[in-house]
Amino acid sequence: MLHVTNTYDGDPESLIDADGKRSDEWSECLALIARKEDRAAFTRLFRHFAPLMKAFALSGSTLSANHADELVQEVMLKVWQKAGAFDPQKAAASTWIYTIARNCRTDLFRRLQKFDTPLSAEDVSDTQDSEDAFVLLHQKRSRDRVRALIRELPGEQAQILAKVYMEGKSHSEVSGELDIPLGTVKSRVRLALQKLQIQLER
Amino acid sequence: MSNFHPDLDLLTDYAAGSLALAQAACVSIHVNHCRRCQRIAGQLTDLGASLFEALTPVAVGDTQLHAVLARLDDEKPLEYARNKDDASATPAILQRLMRGDFSDLNWKNIGSTLRISYLKTGDPDHEFALYHIRAGGRIPEHTHRGTEMTLILEGGFSDVNGSYHKGDFLIRRPGDVHAPTALQSEDCICLAVVDAPLKFTDWKFRWMNPFLKLRTA
Repeated sequence: MLHVTNTYDGDPESLIDADGKRSDEWSECLALIARKEDRAAFTRLFRHFAPLMKAFALSGSTLSANHADELVQEVMLKVWQKAGAFDPQKAAASTWIYTIARNCRTDLFRRLQKFDTPLSAEDVSDTQDSEDAFVLLHQKRSRDRVRALIRELPGEQAQILAKVYMEGKSHSEVSGELDIPLGTVKSRVRLALQKLQIQLER
Repeated sequence: MSNFHPDLDLLTDYAAGSLALAQAACVSIHVNHCRRCQRIAGQLTDLGASLFEALTPVAVGDTQLHAVLARLDDEKPLEYARNKDDASATPAILQRLMRGDFSDLNWKNIGSTLRISYLKTGDPDHEFALYHIRAGGRIPEHTHRGTEMTLILEGGFSDVNGSYHKGDFLIRRPGDVHAPTALQSEDCICLAVVDAPLKFTDWKFRWMNPFLKLRTA
């Protein structure tokens, strides 16, 4: 279920201080963990993100409640261990945490299917490592825009995006599940991405 | 900078983490070398994060929190630093799968111009193979029974639809027929990920069809 409550203006992610640094609560928690192994900061992060991770683990999947709990623990432990690698200039804290959750969930699925592979989901995920100030600013703007516009998507488009992302379903799986043609799934995803102004060309 | 890229559907599935492992590996090698696709994949991942934050939370008890707190002092697993791919080196993912370089691989000759080496990704549904086509060499005309992703790692090739160079990403759908020819100037090495074996339509090579099997895992 999509349930968007955060408002654009009040969004802490959009606060940028004088040095152009992102100064939001979650980035600060990650910095405190990295610098001082701050358990109080970790607990704040846990209370906010663990329930989202559990929802993500259970989204349209076949994971049992035990596996979902195992995933939450694994992801939170990784957040603690990797906090030093988080760079607030390059990514939003929530995106960084979501990426870890997404990769761990994919790896868990593969483990449960007894995949024997030398590659982890992290190995094949993209690295956002641009140093270019213009690129970083562009990314930041696009992120704020997506957050603002996502609340205005028509229900059927939001539903399909949620299935693709939160349930990790391919376009053709979504088509089978909702019993609508593959072409319709694709066009709804495309319309949604257009509305969010995610464009192929600048 | 390449001219042929994964389409938006594919990048969306990639950013959502729902592509099959072998396909995700192929897309990631392109994305890590292509600023345009990196930018789009970044936006699509941010979109995923927005959807993640909008989920209805499911209660997690304090027992769980304490279980994690108790594990914080555990030894960190050894992480090999992910070396950033630079344009001239063999992509890191391939290095992991190859042990050595292209010349150390176990190549199978198919005729005089083409040789193929199968790499093991563990993906049970996709073949992940390197194709080495000698400069100017032509791959016999064939059709695709399934979907084929091709990423050019070295050199380039052309077919009736155009010519393709290092970094270009192509996707062929079932029924697409072509006969790629490597550029005259240098050998071509490309990565091909397929979910069904090729089928030669060139009559001289048709006898091979019954022997073409998908080599996965």
